[in-house]
Amino acid sequence: MRRVAITGMGAICALGHDASATWTAMREGRSAIGPITNIPTELLNIKVAAEVRGYDPLAHFDSKRLVLLDRVSQFALIAAREAVAQSGLDFRDDTRGERTACIIGTGIGGENSHNEQSSRFYGDRNPRVHPLAIVRVMANAPACHVGMEFGLTGPSFAVVSACASANHAMAQAFEMVRSGKVDFAVTGGTEACITVPTIKAWEAMRVTADDTCRPFCRQRRGMVLGEGAGVFVLEEYEHARARGATILAEFSGAGMSADAGDIVLPSETGAAKALAGALADARLDAHDVDYINAHGTGTPANDPTESKAIRRVFGAHADALCVSSTKSIHGHALGAAGAIELVAAIGALREGIIPPTANFIDADPECDLDYVPNVAREKPVRAVLSNSFAFGGLNAVVAIARAT
Amino acid sequence: MSSVQETIFAIISKEAGVDLGKISLDSTLKELEIQSLDAVQIIFEIEDHYKITLPDRDPNFDTESVKGLVEAVEKLVAEKQSAAPASA
Repeated sequence: MRRVAITGMGAICALGHDASATWTAMREGRSAIGPITNIPTELLNIKVAAEVRGYDPLAHFDSKRLVLLDRVSQFALIAAREAVAQSGLDFRDDTRGERTACIIGTGIGGENSHNEQSSRFYGDRNPRVHPLAIVRVMANAPACHVGMEFGLTGPSFAVVSACASANHAMAQAFEMVRSGKVDFAVTGGTEACITVPTIKAWEAMRVTADDTCRPFCRQRRGMVLGEGAGVFVLEEYEHARARGATILAEFSGAGMSADAGDIVLPSETGAAKALAGALADARLDAHDVDYINAHGTGTPANDPTESKAIRRVFGAHADALCVSSTKSIHGHALGAAGAIELVAAIGALREGIIPPTANFIDADPECDLDYVPNVAREKPVRAVLSNSFAFGGLNAVVAIARAT
Repeated sequence: MSSVQETIFAIISKEAGVDLGKISLDSTLKELEIQSLDAVQIIFEIEDHYKITLPDRDPNFDTESVKGLVEAVEKLVAEKQSAAPASA
């Protein structure tokens, strides 16, 4: 069977505007959760988020182009540019673009544009809606813009599965490269949904914290919303090796499952199925895995359930595993989460440094694994799993291993 | 039965599909087998009905009795009414 290499990585999130700044903050456990600054907060009870700060769209796009781009597409493009540049591939070469898939996940799509137009219409009673509202709002817009920028003419679409969108998208892209349907893929996830109505909706569900995100610890009070994008270039392994590309990691497998149970409550069984599926798909033994980047939202329900699922799949090896949630510092970027967190997985693999779970106070008896509290740990890492479990009970776990 | 109590019982019954006769002041949402998603909908309907905001944090949906909820709402409604003349 063909193997799949990751040869490009790009990211933008609250931690920084590129993958290297993102990884540096992860390694240091430096939290970017703070008071919301980009939108008015007077109607909000939850006034913290992990926003992309110091961001000037005009530094990345000219105004003519920008009119087409919701913030969610801007983030995807910025991350994709970084990833493609790192890969060193020119997709306009010969037939390469035709042999490339472009699959970008998003949980919500063009929320900022949607909110802006609704606000004009209902708030200002302005009946004129922007002519580009539709193409800005559509959830496939990020995939389309990435494809257009690099000339990717193979299979291209968005994947939508709430908080698991990025992992589902990357799993799909990985399958296509492995099966030979394509030779390359540009894939990841993007999200930009920090708007007043979205935060009000999260508040109403009572699953968001008003202080900060403290996954797996007793004082956790819920999730904190984040935003950003992560995009990767996947490439058939031998092709990458033959051209002497830097292989960041091997994308070795993916496991997916659906709880088909509750629309919000997580299921230990469903999560365990996805974890076990990823191991089997990647032909990894439980003992080969040294680190799990957890879904770790910091909600009362997720963290114990996820811990039990890991214990169920890994048995005694669960105690030897490092399990951390970088959502503690970059928040929950929903449809971009798995992609931003793959930066942590790749960093851990390449540098042998496990990024910590920040903001950790006291252990919760319900969560009994090694969560690498507050301080990064040096440890050789051979393989990593990265978990995403979405509302709706949709689970996607990806497995990466050190390049050989 | 106070009118707040009556309204809250009706909302719980409707939102969670619980028989009205089963609800008492001493029941907890857990005993009534009310799921978390139903619980947040109950809170939303109560808030929307009275135009009040219940405290966000640590609502103890599962363990707190209906009585606690009724008292919290009565207090907020009373506060709102005493503030009303000034703002009306």
